[in-house]
Amino acid sequence: MEKYDIAVIGAGIAGLTAAIYAVRAGKSTIVLEGKMEGGQIINTINIENWPGDMRVSGVDLIRKVKAQAEELGAKIDYVNVEKISAMDGGFEILGDMDEKILVSSVILAMGTNPRKLSDAMMKDAGKRPVSYCATCDGALYKGKNVVVVGHGNSAKHEVKYLEGICNKVYNIHHDEKIPEDADAVFVAIGRIPATECAKGLVEIDGCGYIVAGEDCHTTQPGVFVAGDARTKTVRQLVTAAGDGAVAAEEAVRYLA
Amino acid sequence: MELLDFYADWCGPCQMMKPTIEEFEKAHPEVKVKSVNIDEEEESAEKYGVSGIPCLVFLKDGEEVVREVGVMPLKKLEKLLEKANG
Repeated sequence: MEKYDIAVIGAGIAGLTAAIYAVRAGKSTIVLEGKMEGGQIINTINIENWPGDMRVSGVDLIRKVKAQAEELGAKIDYVNVEKISAMDGGFEILGDMDEKILVSSVILAMGTNPRKLSDAMMKDAGKRPVSYCATCDGALYKGKNVVVVGHGNSAKHEVKYLEGICNKVYNIHHDEKIPEDADAVFVAIGRIPATECAKGLVEIDGCGYIVAGEDCHTTQPGVFVAGDARTKTVRQLVTAAGDGAVAAEEAVRYLA
Repeated sequence: MELLDFYADWCGPCQMMKPTIEEFEKAHPEVKVKSVNIDEEEESAEKYGVSGIPCLVFLKDGEEVVREVGVMPLKKLEKLLEKANG
């Protein structure tokens, strides 16, 4: 069975930054990622608010950060974490392929997933494709008609992007009917924290966010939270990185 | 067994999948991996009804047996192969 000082759950910018700080402080650190490092930012082609780079793609940025974390000594493993339990002197982490990892401290950095379309709307969409990423799938609908569900900032962004590619772009609310002539449905109705595996371990608010202040302390001693999964007001790359640093420092202090 | 990997150069998740696809190819020489650029081979993308990328389609004797859309680590891709082998 694998044993580490610190497990970081999630290899987005918050998790990888936490790993960098943790290994630099001399702690053995494993980062567990269920899908692919980077998380949300791999869908962003041009990041213009990351200090030091006028323009950088999410893919290029995360590759650099991952390489940095690994070179400093962090281990990154692809494990989809299902459950984290507190036990004597530490925590037991279980993956969905029967992986088992024992650690002394945990940093939760799972980020968020797109909020899914309601069942009623899925039915309305019928056989038409439903996508949660216009920059990924928009080009498949060149010259066709599409509909964007949602009216927030990200929905507006998707509409603008698709207008450059598609014939007609509808924009509807999440309770409206999907236009008959729409060939595909793009969904941007907010995001849901991917905090399922932390249920029962730490306090989670009504929206699914893990409750913690700027010190990243959760309600469970030894468990810290960094990035978009934390209750906070600004969710940006740099604030996620900032959280990563804070959570790692706090974890190191907890282990001292 | 064949694996069709539908991708595009402008697709970040597809770029992230590339090293995983290469690793898979090395570990499984018995599977013929074909990467399909959906901008250059629109007909193929249409034939397979690709509606989102990265899209991975396993073909057994030319028939589609398993399909998955989105990024995944090597372990998950190998699980799909197991399923495809059925």
